[in-house]
Amino acid sequence: MPRAFAAFRRSIRFAPPAVTALALIAAPVRARAEDARPEAEPVDIVVTAPEGSTRAPAAQATVVQADKFAGEVRSVAELLSTAPGVSVHALGGPGQATTLSLRGASADQSLVLLDGIPLHGPGGGAVDLASLPVSLLDRLVISRGVLGAQFGAGALGGVVELVPRRPRTDRLVADARLTGGSFGTFGASSSVSVPWNGEGGGLVALEVNRSAGDFRYDQQLTPEIGGAPYYEFTRANADSWRSSALLRGTWPIAGETGVDVLFQGSLGERGLPGPATSPTHRSRELDRSGLLGARFRSTAGSASYSVRAWGDLDRIELRGASAFGDCDDGASGCPSSLQSASAARGEVELGAPVGDRQWVRGSVTAGMDRASGDGTGFHRRGVFSASISDDVRLGALSVFPALRVDVVGKEAGVSPAIAATLRPWSVPIELRAGAGLSFRVPTFSELYLRQGGLAPNTDLAPEHGRSIDVGIAYRSESLTVSAGAFASWYRDLIVYELFPPAAVKPFNVGAARIRGFELQAVAKLRYGLTAELAYTALQASNTRPGTLEGHSLPYRPPHRLFVRVAHHAGRFESYAEANATASMPRNQFDTAFLPAQVLVNAGAGARVAGPLWIDVEAKNLLDDRTMQDLFQYPLPGLSLAVIARARL
Amino acid sequence: MNRTRIVPLLCVLACGHGTRPPPQEHFALPSGALLKPFDPAKPGEARPLYTAQLGGRVYATLSNARAEGNFVVTAGPGFLASIDPFAGSVDLIDLGGSDGHQCTNPGVVREDGGKLYVACSGDFSGATPGRGVFEVDPTSKTVSRGLVTGMGHVPSGVAVTPTKIWLGDSSTPQLISVDRGTFTTADGSDANHPPIAVPCPSTGQFPFIPYVGIVNGDLYALCATTEAGMLARFDAQTGAAKGSTAVGAQPTEFAATGDGRIAVVNSNENTMTLVTPGATLTAQLALTFNSSTSTLQDVKARGRFVFTVASTSNTVQKIDLQAPGGPKVVADANTGLGSNPFNLEALDDDTVVVVNWATSNVVAPQLKPVQ
Repeated sequence: MPRAFAAFRRSIRFAPPAVTALALIAAPVRARAEDARPEAEPVDIVVTAPEGSTRAPAAQATVVQADKFAGEVRSVAELLSTAPGVSVHALGGPGQATTLSLRGASADQSLVLLDGIPLHGPGGGAVDLASLPVSLLDRLVISRGVLGAQFGAGALGGVVELVPRRPRTDRLVADARLTGGSFGTFGASSSVSVPWNGEGGGLVALEVNRSAGDFRYDQQLTPEIGGAPYYEFTRANADSWRSSALLRGTWPIAGETGVDVLFQGSLGERGLPGPATSPTHRSRELDRSGLLGARFRSTAGSASYSVRAWGDLDRIELRGASAFGDCDDGASGCPSSLQSASAARGEVELGAPVGDRQWVRGSVTAGMDRASGDGTGFHRRGVFSASISDDVRLGALSVFPALRVDVVGKEAGVSPAIAATLRPWSVPIELRAGAGLSFRVPTFSELYLRQGGLAPNTDLAPEHGRSIDVGIAYRSESLTVSAGAFASWYRDLIVYELFPPAAVKPFNVGAARIRGFELQAVAKLRYGLTAELAYTALQASNTRPGTLEGHSLPYRPPHRLFVRVAHHAGRFESYAEANATASMPRNQFDTAFLPAQVLVNAGAGARVAGPLWIDVEAKNLLDDRTMQDLFQYPLPGLSLAVIARARL
Repeated sequence: MNRTRIVPLLCVLACGHGTRPPPQEHFALPSGALLKPFDPAKPGEARPLYTAQLGGRVYATLSNARAEGNFVVTAGPGFLASIDPFAGSVDLIDLGGSDGHQCTNPGVVREDGGKLYVACSGDFSGATPGRGVFEVDPTSKTVSRGLVTGMGHVPSGVAVTPTKIWLGDSSTPQLISVDRGTFTTADGSDANHPPIAVPCPSTGQFPFIPYVGIVNGDLYALCATTEAGMLARFDAQTGAAKGSTAVGAQPTEFAATGDGRIAVVNSNENTMTLVTPGATLTAQLALTFNSSTSTLQDVKARGRFVFTVASTSNTVQKIDLQAPGGPKVVADANTGLGSNPFNLEALDDDTVVVVNWATSNVVAPQLKPVQ
């Protein structure tokens, strides 16, 4: 029923955009050598990137070094969009809610981890990438496929691991960065890392940014006519600001024994401008989040183990949001709406060699998830998981079996996986193959959220997915090329369906098959040039029996291409890049499409004095003001920025 | 100037179709205390839905709702707005009865024989007062007769024949009827007179009846599921089935066109289907709307043209069914950002009056022809 769908769209507009809280604790012991790599200054272009996640060493993965983009204004979402298999859904301009899709899976079906800690929205669902402070990160590892065995229930499309910056233990390092640009966008970040007590060190990092978000865009007022004229509008109520902090410390005790502590906090506010066809000028969203964790790590003989505990809290408040769009905050019939979620975990992890060809790793985790709010009421559920994985090295062949059991509330499931790599020749070519099976437990929102036209369904069961993939990679000093193909099958997908007469309600009725091809290449060229390419082909088909069977899944671009050429020398740097997305279906009947979009960015910078770099960049060089995201939120046209940065 | 010349001149100014002023560009519908809120401290707004035309006026049902955060709450009794689009004036007809709860959430309104018939959905549960069908005398601006439908029935569409008033059900795929003479339930009254089952798509969930109507003496009903739709034909007197055909996903309304076909708009897939009645019903995809975000709510026909309302793109369209190459949008108009138009009435081939649900107003946008 139309009214119900209108209400659903509004609910999407105002849905609590996920979290902000990040946090971290130390990476697994085996990863420490890699994490402690020296920070390059000026930026060093890494062609032969680290192989990927330590938890899923044979997964199709892309590593994005945050430092590579130090001279550019980048959000976490923009960094992710340089990788194959990633599709970013942004609700507008800077600071607005952004979610990601891996290999065509929904945002709820992809995990985002901060040093292994799963992040979540206030309703337990998708993470809002715009709430993640990019300057506090060292790198992002995007692993694709059904990876529940390696990362836990929910990893049906893949996993993004956010690896935060680590304290330096060798010398004092400080940096600062200032940015300013179009649409009243300003940012500042700074960090200080101080070594102490021999192998110990501490890091304090702060980031603040704001944007007026008042960009101009073009919109057709009579779009049912082909070639209808565009009219210029200025985006209103799209401002945002955010402050984030990361505190991190590591205290050695003896040898490999030590304690790591981490706190991450963030608070922000933004306007909720609404889609272009129904702008909302009074709706606001305020969020705050915090995470605190501690880890004790040690070794016993050749084995290593760690014990860690963490807890996080996310809170989001909507003001001026109404069933009819927006309203005056505080007026009768216009109450603010609160939603919060928290999680606490204790985890023991053990890794040990078995013979000289195997490394076995196991972990046990237990804790509690909680959600409360005006829309969901108060709910909590216990969480328990146990996992075991093995790295078996048999000459040129490596095999990685893994098994994990997850219990979330009343739901339980097993996620098995196996992957293998083979290096059969003397040339640096690696063959990869993997398969995985896992599930996703319904979020608190899906189970309990009653808001506007949304109805809850406490009878929901988990979604299930399985995938296989194969790939080949070539790595040399000057060239890295990896290509892979995959197929994933999903059943019991949770789909919001019309629930007559005037609501939509989630049901386990969806089924899908997603197949694709991914290609990534990075080449180090002459004259300090580096070229890279990421291409994704995706065929996402609805396999639910009935009218929709065989139709495309909406919001999945069949083709996406990212190309970038960068130049770097001792005192100068520059880049140019293009991100092209093919036209994609907007509904599940293949009768509505979002047009193809091409985004071109370029920038250049110079070290002007000592460690001080000044960069300028232009985004959307073609000044295409007609671009929209999937839900009719306009995107900015040409924007300019200046970045000043220094590291001591 | 003698009197014999003055009279024709005045008639040209006042009586002739070509000399009337254009409709008011936009004007607000009544709100607040005028809509008799159940709680005076919490008044509602008009939130108009369906329309009908009678005697040069446009009649629109007003759901009279207010927002409580993200929830829509019924603020008061249902109303029928009697709109003079040229003067920009509105008279209210209270459907709520003596206690204000006789009719809430009025939906489809139909004109027949100088009377108006309104289906009221109550709170959509089918179990509380406020649901039923009501006959309105537009001259006296009063409810002349009414019937509270049986438990479990949530009236949606309404179709009127000389002897029966047919109602769709928005919670089940059924039709019930009301004897127009006695205003008592006929089909659906008891086990011996059960509701008429409507054939529905075999795919999708939650079949319901969004709309019913009379075309060429037959009763037609739409059945919608979450992913499909069907138009079914019945004998308008007995309710005997006379065939059906698949249309698009989530159909919302239909209208009889000048060439004897039936135009159906499908909200979920941005399409219009043309159904040709014959010994059997045959359906043909006639048009896929361009914007990809249409959400079609209404279709009205006038000769070779049909007029549609797209609530998400805030637009109304004029479609020429006889355009070379098949039906084409020949003119389009915007009803205002965030207006969420719901229904329209075509006053002539180039003039429409639209009611906007989100902004609770009436607009007469200028249809701009395709260049």
